[in-house]
Amino acid sequence: MQIYLPIAEIPVNIILVLALGLLTGFLAGMFGIGGGFLATPFLIFIGIPPAVAVSTSTNQIISASISGLLAHIRKGNVDIKMGGYLVFGGFIGSSAGVLVFKMLQKKGHIDITIAAVYVLFLGLISFAMLRDSMRVFFQEKYGFNAENKQGKVINAILKIIDKMPYRLYFPKSGVIISPIVPIILSCGIGILVALMGIGGGFLMIPAMVYLLRMPSSVVVGTSLFQIVFIASNATFLQAISNNNVDIVLASLMIFSSAIGAQIGTRTGYKVNANGMRAILATMLLGICIKMLFVLFSEPKNLFIVEILK
Amino acid sequence: MKKILILTILIFSSILSKAYCSPLISGISTNEINIDTKFKGAQILLFGAKGDAGNIVITVRGPKKNFFVTRKEKIVGIWYNATRLKFENSYSFFSLFSSYKGLEIDEDILNDLELTKDFLQFSNEQKYDNKTKDDFRIELIDEMERRKLYNNTADKIDFLDDTLFKIMLNFPKNIVQGVYTVELYLIKENSLISFQSIPIYVNQVGISAKISEFSRQKEIFYGLVAVVLALVVGWITNYIFMRFIGQ
Repeated sequence: MQIYLPIAEIPVNIILVLALGLLTGFLAGMFGIGGGFLATPFLIFIGIPPAVAVSTSTNQIISASISGLLAHIRKGNVDIKMGGYLVFGGFIGSSAGVLVFKMLQKKGHIDITIAAVYVLFLGLISFAMLRDSMRVFFQEKYGFNAENKQGKVINAILKIIDKMPYRLYFPKSGVIISPIVPIILSCGIGILVALMGIGGGFLMIPAMVYLLRMPSSVVVGTSLFQIVFIASNATFLQAISNNNVDIVLASLMIFSSAIGAQIGTRTGYKVNANGMRAILATMLLGICIKMLFVLFSEPKNLFIVEILK
Repeated sequence: MKKILILTILIFSSILSKAYCSPLISGISTNEINIDTKFKGAQILLFGAKGDAGNIVITVRGPKKNFFVTRKEKIVGIWYNATRLKFENSYSFFSLFSSYKGLEIDEDILNDLELTKDFLQFSNEQKYDNKTKDDFRIELIDEMERRKLYNNTADKIDFLDDTLFKIMLNFPKNIVQGVYTVELYLIKENSLISFQSIPIYVNQVGISAKISEFSRQKEIFYGLVAVVLALVVGWITNYIFMRFIGQ
């Protein structure tokens, strides 16, 4: 069953897109991440132009994240004060990201940039996740505790952070930190949100734990809080400045991923989290390798012809 | 009904052409093509009559567009988009028919009338040498031929007798919307005797055309709709699951 996408200007199989949304939503709900870094590459693989894939995933992330956010708000797990600073930085970052996106698109480099940024981040994250789940696996099975070498680097960064001026007290998280830190942090992640079509939760959550030293109880909720705002900003800006949000494709993804997220959240309570994380990491590594082919394999035709609108 | 109408016009025009020695008369079966979500291309019948003398050349030209032609180059193993040329104001569709065996016409006329692919105008203002511009232009034409948007093979025109002719104009599914023109030239001994031009209107219709238009003309509203839709759907889904399935 095919449906014609008005902005992407190609027909796609409805069932395939719905299945895709369900799967990304499911994983998003299960792992507390936006799922964008799965959705964008999948959309590119089924033939959606990369620029449309990125903008449409940012749209989809809003719906996948809002339901999680509502649940966390009900439980009081959101640090609104910290979230506010994060949203502020994220607005700057994602707006800048959309401008960079526009510039790259104009020069014809956007496809290659998206692929390169994906290879870099998916590679790093899948590697870190695999290593983590290995460590947990060995710990559980043999009581073997691998030494954490990251400790020194993080301590050095934390020393710099503690010297930052205008330190404020954040009562919900119980931390004292300069608001410059969350602003810079979410500004950087905001750029990636616009360039990759992701929520950025998989970067934001570890950063909150290690750099902002927030308690894990409020981390996921606060991360979702800022994702909803930043993904909304990025979607809106992509729609008005780059005209590449495909609302037909987005609707299919929005519906199916919202349902997938609900099922994922409930499944998440019942299964072995570590094993699932290893599977997810392997999947991400697979996508990363597929993206490598986009960059390194010789194209069929060396010339690309575009008819401008 | 259509056939009868066409025949009537054909006969009528043939009589006319003979009676008044009018050099060129023609008509088409329709001058509207509607692109909807199921569009698979279209065919239009062109028929006409010419006086005894001269040869006819017929072109179909699509709306003028700008083109980007980009060449991929390898740098540290990565294929990236390197040289990028912009060609301005060239036809997005071109097909050519003629009653010549070969096109034995002076280059001046071919150039003036932009007949055959070698004489189509592609203007480029960038600072590249002529060889590069020529290479890119040829790649552009080749690609347009592959997409069936350019057809330079000087296809045969069916003559029913000495004066009456018909041809089938083919429009593939990937044509852009806009005004197309069918141009008929009657050429005798390297001079243009008669010329006729017929417009064909190609329009997107249906829901997808409306959405595409909406996204360009009311961007702010479109962007808001996209964001609000996602927020509402996410919230409602969450509510339904909470209400009927529980935590």
